[in-house]
Amino acid sequence: MGVILPAVGVVIVMVLGAFAAHWLERGLLGSRAEAGAAFPVRIRPDAVIEQADRWMYPAGPVSALFAIAAGLAVIPFSRELVAVDLGIGVFYFIVVIDFTVLGLSMGGWGANTPFGTEVYYRAVAQLVAYVIPLGLAYIGAIMMAGSLSTVRIVEAQSGIWFIVVQPIGFVLYVITAQMQAFRAPFLEPFSSKIDYGVLRLYGGWKAWAWRVSLSGLLFAVSAMGAVLFLGGWHGPWLPGPVWMLIKTFAMMVLLVGLGARFRPLTTDEMLQLSWKILTPVGLANVLIVGGLILLGVGVKG
Amino acid sequence: MILSHYAVVGMVTLMVFGVACIGAAFFRIAPDRVDAPRGWMPYTIGFPIYALIFISFDMEMIFMYPWAVVFIKQGLKGFLDMLVFICILSAGIAYAWGMEGFKWE
Repeated sequence: MGVILPAVGVVIVMVLGAFAAHWLERGLLGSRAEAGAAFPVRIRPDAVIEQADRWMYPAGPVSALFAIAAGLAVIPFSRELVAVDLGIGVFYFIVVIDFTVLGLSMGGWGANTPFGTEVYYRAVAQLVAYVIPLGLAYIGAIMMAGSLSTVRIVEAQSGIWFIVVQPIGFVLYVITAQMQAFRAPFLEPFSSKIDYGVLRLYGGWKAWAWRVSLSGLLFAVSAMGAVLFLGGWHGPWLPGPVWMLIKTFAMMVLLVGLGARFRPLTTDEMLQLSWKILTPVGLANVLIVGGLILLGVGVKG
Repeated sequence: MILSHYAVVGMVTLMVFGVACIGAAFFRIAPDRVDAPRGWMPYTIGFPIYALIFISFDMEMIFMYPWAVVFIKQGLKGFLDMLVFICILSAGIAYAWGMEGFKWE
């Protein structure tokens, strides 16, 4: 396979996935004001903020776009239909997808306005909250598959999906994925208290880039959830890519629909939830999964 | 082999920059000006202990990935290694919790 074709495919999947996620969320949430990164803003003409940093301010949305596109490059839609099957697949995904937080930091701090600074500050706090429990949820799936490659992880689930043997890991993943995607109830960087964060600040092409990357973020995170716990392309009757899309959509509906049922948490409450509950549960989950593997559960041949 | 794998990632990066440049070229029409107060000033961070403990845990995660990959081959020995490691980490969380580090300042 060449290099150009997979790369074009990834960019197309990112744009289509972002549109699908946006359409789905609008349908699920209606015009609810507190919708986190899904807040419905009219995209206005570009605005110049006099005191903004010349390079850092526009670098924010570009960094976020890069995160989504580079992350989607390792998502397999079938055994062959993957842009690049990296040996360190899921580890690579965790690292590059966090470039959205780097983008929010650069955009927020670079804007040099009080609300912009607040966005930067709260986005970093959100990163501090979600990375560790999210990584511990990934570890369970990696242990059972014995590989970091996304394709191998899906292949390891040909018999039994990891959601069946690792329900705690799946619940951890759902909660931390909501934090990672800045969706309700973890929407502090995009709350109305700080004027919807960067979504009101930016205009023109930068606002479009933010729209695509923040909707695409939900798509990428849901696709990764389908790969890790829902068995990726495996399923009866229908072809693999269709199953992968169905599972990704189911994951998006679960994340958004579940999140809308809870009151939005402040950054303080989110940090406490993460470090007092999720991280200890995640560490226990690693040991539980280890015990299951020693008993021979969920391991192929 | 490795290089051709990461060439796809490099190409994706280039294309994203290209898309951003095209967007920038299209929307460059008479931008508004916005007056807003400045935001760069000294301020206090609300989560210093969280940030410190986060750094130590992030390092620990790096050890866990290779361990998770070889776990099936290692068997019980690997399990006991991780048990000791997780006990030490839990002591770290318990200490930070006990000194009331887990609150907004």
